[in-house]
Amino acid sequence: MKVKKVLASVLSVAMISSLVACGNAATETQTAGSSDTQQAVTKTEEAKTEETAASSDVTDTITIMVPPITGDYVDLLGGWISEFNKEYPNITIDVISTSWDDHTEKLTTMALAGEAPDIAEVSYAAIGSYVENGTAIDISKYIDPERLSDYDQNALDYMTLEGTLYGLPLYITIQALGGNREMLEAAGADVTKIQTSGWTYDQFLDVIKNGTTSDRFGFVFANAGATTQDFINIFGVAAGITSSFTQDLKYSYTSDNMLSLLEAVETMTSSGYMPNYAVEAGQRLVMLQTGQTMLTGKAMPLFENNIKRNIEKMQAKDPEAVEGTIEMEYVFLPVPTMDNATASVFGTVDGMIALRNNNTTDEHLQNVLKFMDFLCSGERAATVDNAVYLTGVCESARKAQESFELDQSDENAAAVAYAISKVVAPPTGISAEQSANAKTMMDETIVPKFQALLAGETTAKDVYDAICTEAYKLFGEENCASGWIK
Amino acid sequence: MKKQEIHNKNLSKTRYHMADNISGWGFIGVAVAVFVIFTLYPVISAVITSFQEYKPFGSEFVGFENYITALGNDLFWKSIKNTLVYTVVVIPLSLILSFSIAIMIVPFTKNVQSVFKGIYYLPGIASGVAISVVWLWLYDASPNGIFNRVLALFGTTSQNWLSSSKTAMLSLIIMALLSSHGANIIIYIAALHGIDNTYYEAAEMDGAKFFQKIRYIVLPMCRPTTLFLLVTGVIGSFQVFMNAYMMTGGGPDNNTTMIGLLIFNNAFTYGKYGLACAQAILLAIVITALTTLQFKLMGEDIEY
Repeated sequence: MKVKKVLASVLSVAMISSLVACGNAATETQTAGSSDTQQAVTKTEEAKTEETAASSDVTDTITIMVPPITGDYVDLLGGWISEFNKEYPNITIDVISTSWDDHTEKLTTMALAGEAPDIAEVSYAAIGSYVENGTAIDISKYIDPERLSDYDQNALDYMTLEGTLYGLPLYITIQALGGNREMLEAAGADVTKIQTSGWTYDQFLDVIKNGTTSDRFGFVFANAGATTQDFINIFGVAAGITSSFTQDLKYSYTSDNMLSLLEAVETMTSSGYMPNYAVEAGQRLVMLQTGQTMLTGKAMPLFENNIKRNIEKMQAKDPEAVEGTIEMEYVFLPVPTMDNATASVFGTVDGMIALRNNNTTDEHLQNVLKFMDFLCSGERAATVDNAVYLTGVCESARKAQESFELDQSDENAAAVAYAISKVVAPPTGISAEQSANAKTMMDETIVPKFQALLAGETTAKDVYDAICTEAYKLFGEENCASGWIK
Repeated sequence: MKKQEIHNKNLSKTRYHMADNISGWGFIGVAVAVFVIFTLYPVISAVITSFQEYKPFGSEFVGFENYITALGNDLFWKSIKNTLVYTVVVIPLSLILSFSIAIMIVPFTKNVQSVFKGIYYLPGIASGVAISVVWLWLYDASPNGIFNRVLALFGTTSQNWLSSSKTAMLSLIIMALLSSHGANIIIYIAALHGIDNTYYEAAEMDGAKFFQKIRYIVLPMCRPTTLFLLVTGVIGSFQVFMNAYMMTGGGPDNNTTMIGLLIFNNAFTYGKYGLACAQAILLAIVITALTTLQFKLMGEDIEY
C-alpha cells in the first residue's frame, strides 16, 4: 500500500512538474508582453551579439523560405548559394521550399511560433501582417546604404510601411488581361491599338459580347476562392481603384467606383459573357489554350512563353500538351477604363523580407542582409525578371538583363511598356493596422459577397451596401472613401 | 514462530503485488505523460492564449476581449449555425445509412463480409485531400463536370454546385455521406454479431417479421453502439474543417464556413491566435454541452 502511495506521489510530482514548466514558459511570454516588446527584443539581440562578437570567425546559418518564384527557382537557388559561399564560406544557407498554395500559411505559422525563417519571399501587400505581429525587421540598419541605392526608389516604396523599410524588391509584375488575337479581331477589337493606348469599358463589353458563342465565353477571370481578390485588384483599376486605400488613406472599396465595378460584374455574368461560377486559376489558362474563352485574366506577359511551348508540345504530339489545344497568338492587353476613371494597370512588387526569430542577433542580421541583397540583385534578380518577361527593379539586374533576349512579340513588348507606364504605386503611410484590417475585409466580406454576386444570388447594390456596413464598423465611416474617387 | 511465518508470507505477497504494480504504473505513466504533453498542455496553453493578444515576442493580457469579440462577431454565429445544420443532417443520415448497410452485410459469409467491409472502409484510408480533389472534379460547375453531364442526360441545366448558396452546403453533405461511413459500418457489424441468436429464435417462434426483429431486438441491443457513434459523430462533425477548406473555402457568402474553418483562418491566415483560441474554447463548451445532452437523453438506461 505504501509503495503504491510512493509511486502515485512520484507520478503526481512528475505531472505537476511538467505543468509548472509549461506554466513558467507561458508566464515568461506574458511578462515580456507586459513590457515594451521592442525593447525586450532589442536587449536580447544585443546580448546575443556580444556573445557572438567575441569570436570573429563564428559560423552562421541563414534560413530562407521561398515558393517556386519561377519554375526552376529552387534549383537555381542551390547554384547561387554555392556562389555566395565562395565569398562567405562561414555562412550556411538552409532552404525551405514551399508551394504557392501553402507558402503564406506556413510562413505565418512559423512566424507566430517565433521560428520564422530569416528571409522569406512575400508580396508587398502581406508585409503589414508581419509588422503587426512584431516579426518584420527594419532592414535599413543592416544593409550598406550604397547597396540600397542600387534599387529603384519606387520599388523600395512598395516594401516600406509607415516609413520603415522591411525588405528588398525582387521583381515587379503587371497583371492584366490576355487573349486570342484572331478571336479578338473577329469580335471587332483593334488589338494593336488597345495594346498601346488602352480601351474603354464600353469597347471591352462590345468585344466580349461579340466574342461569346454557344461553346465559348467572351471573358473568363479566375475567381475561385482567394483568387477573387485578384479580380478585385486587377479589374478594379477599370473603375479607378488602384489600391485598398486612396492617396489620403481612406478605404477605397466604399467609393462609388466599387459600386460601378460590381455592376460591371453583374452585367458580364447575367449576360453570359462571363461564367457565373467559380473558375480555378489553372482552369482559365486551359480555357484560353483550348478556345473555350477569347479573353482571360489574370494574365501576365510571361503567358506568351507558356502558350507557345504548349502549342509546340501539341504539334509534337507530346502527351503533356493540354488536351484540345488550338493554334493561337497570345496577346497581352491592358484592363479597360470606365468613364471618369484614369487609365491604369495593376502592378505588384514581390520581394524578400527579413523576419525575427528566436536566434536573431545584430551580427546575424548583417549576414542575412548580405545574402538577401545578393539574391535580389545582379544576375539572380535578372534571371527572375527574364522568367516573368519584365524589366528588373534594380540597376544591377537591368545591366545583367542586357545580354538576354526575350522570346516576345514586338506587339506584346509594346503592350508591356504601355502597362508599366500606367502602374500606380500604392499610397505611402498605410499603417500595419490598416493593412491588416483591409485583409480581413477582403477575406471575410468582399470575397464571400463577390462569390454570391457571381452566382447571381445577390445584386451589386446589396454587395456594395454590405461592404460599406462592415468597412464603417472596422475603419470608421470617416476613414472610408465616399463618392467617386479619382 | 507462527507470527514470523505469517509476516514472511505477507511480505512476499506484497513484493509480488509491488512488482505487478510497478509495471502497471509504468504503462499508465506513459499514457499519462502523452496525455499531459499532447492534450493537457495544449489545452491549458490555449486557455491562457485566449486571454492574450498573442505575439511571438511578447503577448499582451487582454482579459475577456477575445471572447467578447468572438461572441459579437456575426460570422462566428453564422459558422456555428452552418456547423449545426451540417451536423443535424449528416450525423443521423450517416447513422441510418451505416446501420442499413451493416444489416445488409451481416447475413453474408465471413469472407464476403470482409470484402464489403474493405470496400466501404477504403475511402477512410485515402488522403482527405485526394478525395476532395476527386469531388471537386465531380462538382465541376461547367457543362463538362461529371454531375452536370449526368443532369444533362435528364435534360436538366448545369448546376453551380459549390458556388451557389442553394447547393454548396448540400454538396458538402452529399460528399460527407458518401465518403466517410466505413468505420461506422464496421462498428455496427461488430454490434450486430454481439446480439445473441436466442433473441431472434424466440422472436421467430412468436412469429416476428424482419422489421419487427429490427425494431424490438436489433435497435435496442445496438443502442449503446448508436450512442457511441452519435456522440463521436457530433464531436467530429463540430470539428469538421477539411471539406469546407478544400471544396468551398467557406463560400459562397460564408454559407459553408464551419466553426473549424473560422478558427483555422483566424489562427493561420490572420495570425489572431488569441481570438482563435477563444473561439476554440467556446467550441469546446458547445461540444461538451451537446455531449452531456445526448447522454442525458439517450444514455441513462445504457449499461456498458
